[in-house]
Amino acid sequence: MAETPAADVHPPYLYPDYKSTRLRAPAQPLVRVAPSPLDTAGPTFPKHFVKDSEADLTTWGKSAPLGEKMVLVGRVLDEDGRPVRRSLVEVWQANASGKYPHPVDDHEAPLDPNFLGKGQVLTDDKGRYRIVTVKPGAYPWQNHAFGWRPAHIHFSLFGNAYAQRLITQMFFPGDPLLAIDPIFQSVPEAGRRLLIADLDLEHGVEGVALGYRFDMVLRGPRATPMGV
Amino acid sequence: MAKPTPSQTVGPFFARELLWGDGDKVLFPGQGDRITLTGRVFDGAGAPIFDALFETWQADAAGKIPSGGDGARPYGYGRVSTDTDGRYAIETVMPGSFRGPGSETYAPQISVTIFARGLLKAVQTRVFLAPLEAIKDDPLARAISDPDRLRTLIAARDPGDPKIYRWDVRLRGAGEAVFIEL
Ligand SMILES: [Fe+2]
Repeated sequence: MAETPAADVHPPYLYPDYKSTRLRAPAQPLVRVAPSPLDTAGPTFPKHFVKDSEADLTTWGKSAPLGEKMVLVGRVLDEDGRPVRRSLVEVWQANASGKYPHPVDDHEAPLDPNFLGKGQVLTDDKGRYRIVTVKPGAYPWQNHAFGWRPAHIHFSLFGNAYAQRLITQMFFPGDPLLAIDPIFQSVPEAGRRLLIADLDLEHGVEGVALGYRFDMVLRGPRATPMGV
Repeated sequence: MAKPTPSQTVGPFFARELLWGDGDKVLFPGQGDRITLTGRVFDGAGAPIFDALFETWQADAAGKIPSGGDGARPYGYGRVSTDTDGRYAIETVMPGSFRGPGSETYAPQISVTIFARGLLKAVQTRVFLAPLEAIKDDPLARAISDPDRLRTLIAARDPGDPKIYRWDVRLRGAGEAVFIEL
């Protein structure tokens, strides 16, 4: 069987430079199996599951959060370039200081009482989404000496079928920390560019928020027309 | 063909962002025998994985693939995290068996996807809620020739409480669960 294109872009399970993979990566090969009717269907998120306000992470508190305000736009497509419509996109991120409001985040950086760092949106009929937030800060981690994660936004996508389920991270262009981040570097070279947003100034808000664009492509099960 | 967006780890910080208060109670439009699927998730050293995101997706009691939701939540879908002991628990209905496009029969099963720090890609599998003898015709069971490996996907009914199905998941090493790719 020919190698699927997906094998070229996804990271391996075991990537020893990212230490947590050493005891958690499966050692046995995956068993290939045809998609079941569960894989070609998927959980449906009703329109009112998502409130419009949840696409704007900067309005959660009583006043504006600290940091560089940004608008993030993009499209979710399948491998044939078709829009993935009305599908749930969840995002979460650290605040502008690189801190999560999370008990196990021991980074000594301030919480922002006006920023929770959690949002969600449904793609529209063209697969588009739009999020308003602040640029997350980099944060240290204990994987290796002087390790810092590059600024990133976490994404969770459902697509239109369970087989399209994806969790990933979006990074920022020109970040020097990308070169020393084993999580980003675990992605084969051909895929790395796909995790980096582009500046898209016109989608920002003049004088207020910097615009970025991040498009995502979801794979369907092999040899199965997914439809949308 | 456009290249798919690469996967990245869910990381350690998702509990306040992704979890729902009642994500452990899987909803369906109709009735069914309520059961609990519970167990622990372990790493390659046998240590509990205390920060995994554990998701389930399944057919209803009649074997119908759910669509829609109750207004706030999708039917058929569960989402929890493991606790400090690596334990998860999902309260759901006993799924019925169902047929595939080629008329093949799928044994009663729940699709499980696990995300975690240290998993650069999710692991996905199918846990069977039926004994070994009853799943022999299932497409996944047929794809796994070694019965010891197949047993890693069978949830055991609790002898003391028939509503409880117990299934531990070892991500790596001895007793490693079978994980699938489509
Ligand atoms: Fe993060």
